[in-house]
Amino acid sequence: MVEKVKFKVFRYRPEDGGKGFYKEYEVPVKKGMTILDGLIYIKENIDPTLSVRYSCRMAICGSCGVRVNSLETLACHTQVLELKRRVIRVEPMRNYPLVKDLVTDMTPLFRKQKALMTWLIRQDNVEQENPTKQYLQSEEELERYLQFTYCIQCGLCYSACPVVSTFPDFYGPQPLMKAYRYYADSRDEGGEERVRLVDRFEGVWRCHFAGSCSAVCPKGVDPALAIQLLRRSALKG
Amino acid sequence: MRERDLMLLHYITGIGILVFGSIHVATIFFTYPFQDTIWETTLRFDSIPYAVLPVYRNALLAASLFGLLLCTTVHAMNGLRSIITELVGARKRWVEALLFAVGVFLLVYGTRTILIAHSLV
Ligand code: SF4
Ligand code: FES
Repeated sequence: MVEKVKFKVFRYRPEDGGKGFYKEYEVPVKKGMTILDGLIYIKENIDPTLSVRYSCRMAICGSCGVRVNSLETLACHTQVLELKRRVIRVEPMRNYPLVKDLVTDMTPLFRKQKALMTWLIRQDNVEQENPTKQYLQSEEELERYLQFTYCIQCGLCYSACPVVSTFPDFYGPQPLMKAYRYYADSRDEGGEERVRLVDRFEGVWRCHFAGSCSAVCPKGVDPALAIQLLRRSALKG
Repeated sequence: MRERDLMLLHYITGIGILVFGSIHVATIFFTYPFQDTIWETTLRFDSIPYAVLPVYRNALLAASLFGLLLCTTVHAMNGLRSIITELVGARKRWVEALLFAVGVFLLVYGTRTILIAHSLV
């Protein structure tokens, strides 16, 4: 059975300047259709000027983050009929510069990841580049950070964070969570340096534990928990 | 001072406020001459200065008042630092300097009040 659902989509053209506007499109919706399918339908059949970013269509690549009815979600992971609404508002993520329509510039997220050195730090650089043996971990060691490796860097948590909204210098949930992911890795040797990086005004202490980051994460990652664990590490020195 | 030391101080002074605040409220509860009505108990200030003097007279209670003053000032100024910076959206050195000065003023003025009242005995 096909139902008609109205998509109220945020449009923004940088060349026009201004604040952007909402445009409504009527989309025939079948069971199983996602928000992304709806947006692609609009692009292919009604308005080819609509810009939306996507790739895998199966909640793996993390490129289709948007806000649907004011909540951060992956467009390819949200079923239209499950929303049980006649009108669906689709907007770009917050806390990122807008490129066009629903496409945001993810630079702030990646810049902050880089500032927090979110990679494996080893003292033996030569060995790290050309490992001569395997670096095994026990199950317990893996458990310490496993859930944080499920992050697909969609940036939804960063968009949902109210602290980033008011204080853009705050590192934000995803970069801090990723810093913890490496901090907790038994193969990492950058513990002290990491703690020094997150122990700043813009670091872990600015989290007000609103929890919206963890609530919106499509992969069940808990960035708010990672931030509290990092705080504990910073307090212990 | 590192941010983690400031925040540790923030947590400790928060607990301090609870402890010294409870002592303060309990002291007032047992010291004030309770009247028949809430109006008289809470808003008739004319009898209160004489009622609170014994609090200041007692060195331990005066010290706990100083503890409350210290904890409240440090906690409030550090809290304001976070709130203002987050509202403004960027760190401003002059805001931190101003808050530091206000904190020092409150501490000096409050300590002076406690000392004067204590030596009134
Ligand atoms: S933690 Fe979750 S919401 Fe945040 S970027 Fe990773 S997958 Fe996306
Ligand atoms: S298109 Fe890859 S996560 Fe949605």
